[in-house]
Amino acid sequence: MPQSSDSCCFHCGGVLVPGSRYAVEIDGRTHTLCCGGCEAAARLIVAQGLGRFYQFRAGTGATPSAAARNWAVFDREAALRRYTHECADGERELSVQIEGLHCAACAWLIERSLGQLPGVSDIHVNAAAARAGLRFDPQQVSLSALLARIHALGFEPLPLSFAGGAPEWTAERRAALKRLAVAGFGMMQVMTFAVSLYAGAMQGIAADLEQFLRFVSLLVATPVVLYAAQPFFVGAWRSVRSGTLGMDVPVALSIGAAYLWSVVATLRGEGAVYFDSAVMFTFFLLLGRYIEMSLRHRAGMQHDALARLLPQSVLRVSGARAERVTPDELHAGERIRVLPGERVAADGVIASGASEIDESLLTGESAPHARGRGDTVLAGTLNLSGIIEVSVARVGQDSTLAAVARLLERAHASRPRVADVADRVASWFVGAVLLLAAAVLAAWLVVDPARAFSSTLAVLVVTCPCALSLATPAALAAATTRLARQGLLVTRGRALERLARADRVVLDKTGTLTWGEPRLQTVRMLATRLTRARCLEIAAALEAYSAHPIARAFAALAPAATGATDVHPAAGRGIEGCIAGVRYRIGRREYVLEGCGAAGRTPPAAPPGGYTCVALGDATGLLALFELADGLRADARATLQRLRRLGLTPLIASGDGAAAVAAAAAKLGEVEARAELTPDGKLALLHALQSAGHRVVMVGDGVNDAPVLAAADVSVAIGGGTDLAKVSADIVLLGERLAPLAGAIESSRGMLRIIRQNMTWAVFYNAAAVPLAAGGWLEPWMAAIGMSLSSLLVVLNALRLLKVRRAGAAPQLRPAARAELHA
Amino acid sequence: MSILYLLIPLALVLLALTVWAFFWAVRAGQFDDLDSPAVQILLDDDRSPEGGAASDRDA
Repeated sequence: MPQSSDSCCFHCGGVLVPGSRYAVEIDGRTHTLCCGGCEAAARLIVAQGLGRFYQFRAGTGATPSAAARNWAVFDREAALRRYTHECADGERELSVQIEGLHCAACAWLIERSLGQLPGVSDIHVNAAAARAGLRFDPQQVSLSALLARIHALGFEPLPLSFAGGAPEWTAERRAALKRLAVAGFGMMQVMTFAVSLYAGAMQGIAADLEQFLRFVSLLVATPVVLYAAQPFFVGAWRSVRSGTLGMDVPVALSIGAAYLWSVVATLRGEGAVYFDSAVMFTFFLLLGRYIEMSLRHRAGMQHDALARLLPQSVLRVSGARAERVTPDELHAGERIRVLPGERVAADGVIASGASEIDESLLTGESAPHARGRGDTVLAGTLNLSGIIEVSVARVGQDSTLAAVARLLERAHASRPRVADVADRVASWFVGAVLLLAAAVLAAWLVVDPARAFSSTLAVLVVTCPCALSLATPAALAAATTRLARQGLLVTRGRALERLARADRVVLDKTGTLTWGEPRLQTVRMLATRLTRARCLEIAAALEAYSAHPIARAFAALAPAATGATDVHPAAGRGIEGCIAGVRYRIGRREYVLEGCGAAGRTPPAAPPGGYTCVALGDATGLLALFELADGLRADARATLQRLRRLGLTPLIASGDGAAAVAAAAAKLGEVEARAELTPDGKLALLHALQSAGHRVVMVGDGVNDAPVLAAADVSVAIGGGTDLAKVSADIVLLGERLAPLAGAIESSRGMLRIIRQNMTWAVFYNAAAVPLAAGGWLEPWMAAIGMSLSSLLVVLNALRLLKVRRAGAAPQLRPAARAELHA
Repeated sequence: MSILYLLIPLALVLLALTVWAFFWAVRAGQFDDLDSPAVQILLDDDRSPEGGAASDRDA
């Protein structure tokens, strides 16, 4: 098994720049890391004795930010009231959604680490829901300290406003489990009695013992039918009242009829009883429902888009006083101060100051906009360089951000639903089954009334659409699980089916085929006073004071030189600061040249198009020029080739200039490309493809892509993309690689094949069993067993999806861990 | 066969106890997360952060 190779960051798995000095030591081995953020998180983990996390986690985590965050606003009374709930003994309960938590090892890490804090009396982290429940004593540990610790471990905590009790889906799951248990235990008992009764019928049994066994069966079957089978009766009643025939109708009819018939027979002391059939039928149906529900819960990851895009605290200014408050405490007309690197908390107008604002969240455009006094800024946008004061106009649900979120919700609701078709088909099927059962009943009443009831019941049970209704969810669940192991999250089950049938894939360029942020391409040294490495260190130290995307490119490259003092950002131009007594400037060339006065040399020719140039200089002249550009993802070309081999024609649809798009398309191997498209243009292109009969997969990231993503047959978002896009996409690629997309198409086609096999089997089984049941050769209990075996076969067939090429996908133990386990 | 009149009610009592125990486990949240606990036993380490073996001291 591979040792942690030095080509990737040990903590986040990101690309490692050769010669990185960030490292962490675990059990005598030194592992290289990519940036200060990863180093801080890894050191904290190791220092608490939790280094084993790295041996057992199922994949690498997100890159933590190096910047320390101020969580103090969570100690305000308003925040404490909103996010926590006071228990009787003075302790408080807290529920936190944790971003970046994706495996059991992550959950363990957070549990152990927070459990070590004094004052935390109880913590449980649920890996499946990515949620932590805490109980803590506010006298001993503050809410801010808890959140800061989660953040320091490399995760992103999002405290949830306290709604009381467990989340809705936990309650649903618990209720389903209880019903399943009652039906399961009941089935075991009733089957035992039933076998005795059948044996007694053949070999002879004392009349009073027989009657006793029947009464006991009645006793056990009653809670099963009245409690466990309740959802079927409720569902059947609902569908009859709305004038449709759902799958629940024949189910409720057969369970109810079998039970009532048997009760009457038991009380009268004559005639056959069918408690066994009724109970077994209930159990297997509930089992199928439970599997389907688990899949639904896993798919329906609940995101509160607004909560995660708004800042968690905001600086409110009144007169000369400024205080940190939560965004909920803001009102229109108040004034807030937004520092560089902060998100704006509310829509408003800039009252003073000027800055560059990153609006990529709402527009998808990665280039920042210069905004000054009198300009409007929107909630959720990122302030990059200057300090601004904003007079608040709209907050919370009135903000533009909330409106965008609502639009997205509506877009989802209006999507064509395959489920409707399935329901209509089911309705016909159920109608046919009921007619058939009625015909069988009528025929037997004429031929042999004594066998009429048992034959009709056998028909109802044997035609149970169990295998039919399990065929799809079981295959979906298996395929979804497999894809999750490959780094791909399916948020809607239907998406996989459509993915398998797709024949076109439309890709956005910026942020999808490319990294979406500038990366350092070349360094041109203009002076020999300093080494290249020293220049990078100085650049990283100064750029640490900016949140501009360009600044982030430096942070990842080199450890920052320490001791930067007297740092002044100049909005939109650059940064000035002192390191070891020397004054440096970094930023636009003109700005840096101003700083070195007449001594400045004429700079060399401008860099080629598509490149951004950053200069570094001191008082005597320019030191170095850094050229940055947005590069293609490492596996973009290979992935496109693989997609082509799978029969999907790729097409690049980009809002960028024609030259840049053509260059990227050429590098990717002569891919068809459209440039300078507006979001409307992309949408039109998509509709044109769809009306030509193509099924289109759209891969994108920005929120300006959201309408296009919503209109596509299948939408895929890259994990690094903005959060709203994640929420709106059918499939989310976790991590930085495109390759899992091609794997997903292969998996989805495998899934479709399995579904077809399962459907074929279900039809074949019904065709064979119905005549037998109608002819009276099947007892109801045989029908129930046949139905169950058929369902089991379908589920086992679906599980084959998990087996294919499983090696390498499962969480891997490093050799050291295995040796320790065997020791 | 009259022993059955004792054994079967006894089985029913056990059945009721089993169902009650299962309901208790569900309510206590034992089934809410089926993935993490399986890994936790592997991860939990008897060694203290300094490298000393806590379990040795206990022994």
